[in-house]
Amino acid sequence: MLLIGLRVLDLTDQKAAFCSKLLADMGAFVIKVESPGGDASRNAGPFMGNELHPEKSLSLFYNNTGKKGITLNIEHKEGKKIFLALVKKNDVIVESFSPGYLDKLGLGFESLKRINPKIILASVTGFGQTGPKKDYKSCDLVASAFGGQMSVTGSLKPLKHYGEQSYLTASLFAATGILLALRKQRMTRKGEHLDISIQEAVASTLEHVMVRYFYENIIQKRQGSLHWNNLFHIFQCRDGFIQITLFDKWETFVEWMDSEGMAADLVNEKYLDETYRRSRLDHIIKIIKTWTKTHTVKELFKLGQLMQFPWARVDSPKKIVKSPQLKARGFFKDVCPAKNNTIKKCPGPPYQFDSKPNQYVARAPLTGEDNLNLYGKELGFSKEKLEELYSMGII
Amino acid sequence: MKNILSGIRVLDFTRVLSGPYATRVLADFGAEVIKVQSKKIEGTGPDAGGYFDTWNRNKRSITLNMSHSEAKKIALSLVAICDVVIENFSPRVMSNWGMDFPKLKKVRPDIIMLSMSGMGQKGPWKDHVAFGPTVQSLGGLTYLSSFEKDAPLGPGYALADHISGLYGTFAVLAALENRDRTGQGSYIDLSQYEVVAGMIGPALMDVLANGKEAIPQGNQADYEMAAPHGCYQCLGDDRWCVIGVFNETEWHALIKVMGDPGWAYEKRFSTLIARKTHFKPLDEKLNLWTLKHDAQKLVELLQEAGIQAGVVQNAKDLANDPHLLDQNYFIQTQHPLLGKTISDRSPIRFMQNSSTDPYSDVDLKSSPLLGEANKYVYMDLLGLTETEYKSYIQKGIIA
Repeated sequence: MLLIGLRVLDLTDQKAAFCSKLLADMGAFVIKVESPGGDASRNAGPFMGNELHPEKSLSLFYNNTGKKGITLNIEHKEGKKIFLALVKKNDVIVESFSPGYLDKLGLGFESLKRINPKIILASVTGFGQTGPKKDYKSCDLVASAFGGQMSVTGSLKPLKHYGEQSYLTASLFAATGILLALRKQRMTRKGEHLDISIQEAVASTLEHVMVRYFYENIIQKRQGSLHWNNLFHIFQCRDGFIQITLFDKWETFVEWMDSEGMAADLVNEKYLDETYRRSRLDHIIKIIKTWTKTHTVKELFKLGQLMQFPWARVDSPKKIVKSPQLKARGFFKDVCPAKNNTIKKCPGPPYQFDSKPNQYVARAPLTGEDNLNLYGKELGFSKEKLEELYSMGII
Repeated sequence: MKNILSGIRVLDFTRVLSGPYATRVLADFGAEVIKVQSKKIEGTGPDAGGYFDTWNRNKRSITLNMSHSEAKKIALSLVAICDVVIENFSPRVMSNWGMDFPKLKKVRPDIIMLSMSGMGQKGPWKDHVAFGPTVQSLGGLTYLSSFEKDAPLGPGYALADHISGLYGTFAVLAALENRDRTGQGSYIDLSQYEVVAGMIGPALMDVLANGKEAIPQGNQADYEMAAPHGCYQCLGDDRWCVIGVFNETEWHALIKVMGDPGWAYEKRFSTLIARKTHFKPLDEKLNLWTLKHDAQKLVELLQEAGIQAGVVQNAKDLANDPHLLDQNYFIQTQHPLLGKTISDRSPIRFMQNSSTDPYSDVDLKSSPLLGEANKYVYMDLLGLTETEYKSYIQKGIIA
């Protein structure tokens, strides 16, 4: 485990829960700090057994694997004290409150620094800590719109990516930033406040979009399943959908269709010229459409890949959990420990170190699951003290 | 000026976007990234392209013709003076060159190597040809990012390349932490297919735990209870806004901004669950209202009323976004052929500005010209004599 020894306090909701999951996957010791009663994102679906229950949220589970869980009311005077005692013992804090919230509680970066001068605070918010839109309310939908993603995805109507991709992207930037801040801290011996804007995270991951605006003055529009550079398009087969390339290795492709008597006029020499092909895009799509309908997805994917075409099945979740490739690499991990837990399998991280996949994924904590253990071990609280804190609504 | 990653040297064999994005993040924060190119492969084109320039800023470029039998020896001697090697070829390429991890370790025992192929280094599909759209389709993002189940659309651009790149950077930085602590190097086998599958994690868990399959939701909320939650047309050509309402307080605030229309009080819209059930007529009613308004002004009003709302910004809107401009999000560099160019600043921002902030004096450099750093790398760093250097050029190795 590469990050063994790194200690992280996680105060985030779903906006940045993935950030400390990334760190936990690498071996960091992450304590998820929820307000008493549990994080609101425990109400996010889908749910185990389709039962709306705070301990059965699968998205919470996925975003919080490998973490420990305690509850603490940081708005309460006593809770604040306990929080600061924890700050002393940890290296990193990740939070996703509105800008200024922690300051108002007296828990802003300056206050934290007095307690632990080397603390790294990573703040993930919709629009960052400063600037005219800093107080705008945000969610994945708002970030996807303001960040530019929706202007280029979809057909007539703009389309947000599935899931909460803006949160995942911002979390990746934050986790990367935290590792950079750790290196910086060792040089300066000072703490750091990282300011991650989810809008910027989206705007920074638009591939060609800003590049072509700044260099060629092109404002990209939406064009359905047709990839921006007109290279990829999705076609219907007998039993599903395949994504294929329109211009890649043109002669081979046309030969293939022609061998089945379905290349129509595409055999014409004029099509050897790429500029001509691009001008006849709609026509080419029409011909390919007729051809793919005579095949199964499996046939085209298998043969296409054999011929080195970067083609792909358009797979749904059910297909993906059966993928022979993911199976061979052990991507779906056993969840451990199994106690109190009926979730058995979970997607693991997308990398392996030294060709050794992680054996299992440690499950997400139940609300306050580690209160007894952690408050006892870390801060020396007795059972009686914990009961008192519990009755006061602090934990 | 000392940057955070000053002293870290990266040998960069990557191409297109996923790998170059990973090494750009490292270069942005001060790593010395040496991009290995070849005249044979690149031709003369890449020097002048915006795409290349944007994703390869701050890097150095050398030419090395890896298909030449003597190139391997030079490449390995470069590995010996680097901390990290990154590549995004198909699995067989590096081993065909005799540059797989065990070989690199022999010349540099604590080397960190990141391979970021489409499918990963092992498994029955390891040799599959994959670009961003390929892994997006295989990994489920394309299927689920659609309005309807029977008309898959997908992102339309290679988001997966960025996400894979970020995972790569993150893993390399973690491996550096580990090296500093233990003295050990690491080999990282990243699969871009798995990166995308991980992006739809909760949907995969729904299948694993419940045998239930998520279906495309358009712009409706996937994981949370929200209604309305969608994209609505506004005044003007291709102008749109988004509105997300997560509770009754926000719903009543929205009714007020709309000017108390009668339809909003219909029973089918009276609770969150009722609105979610009747999202289609709800979206239609809302759309009739938004159509009469300017997106920008409407979103300002909605935000003032405490409602999650946003303008669907296109490239031009982003370039002129007052908030992004206020945050100096766009930065200028000077390219010898392209002139003044603009690209995005990293979203990783350090608020404790000091001399270690790579942006404190806007020292960003444009992308390198092909082979620009040949002399520096081969003679100053590797210590080749002028005669040796010239003979390698003559033999078509440094080419």
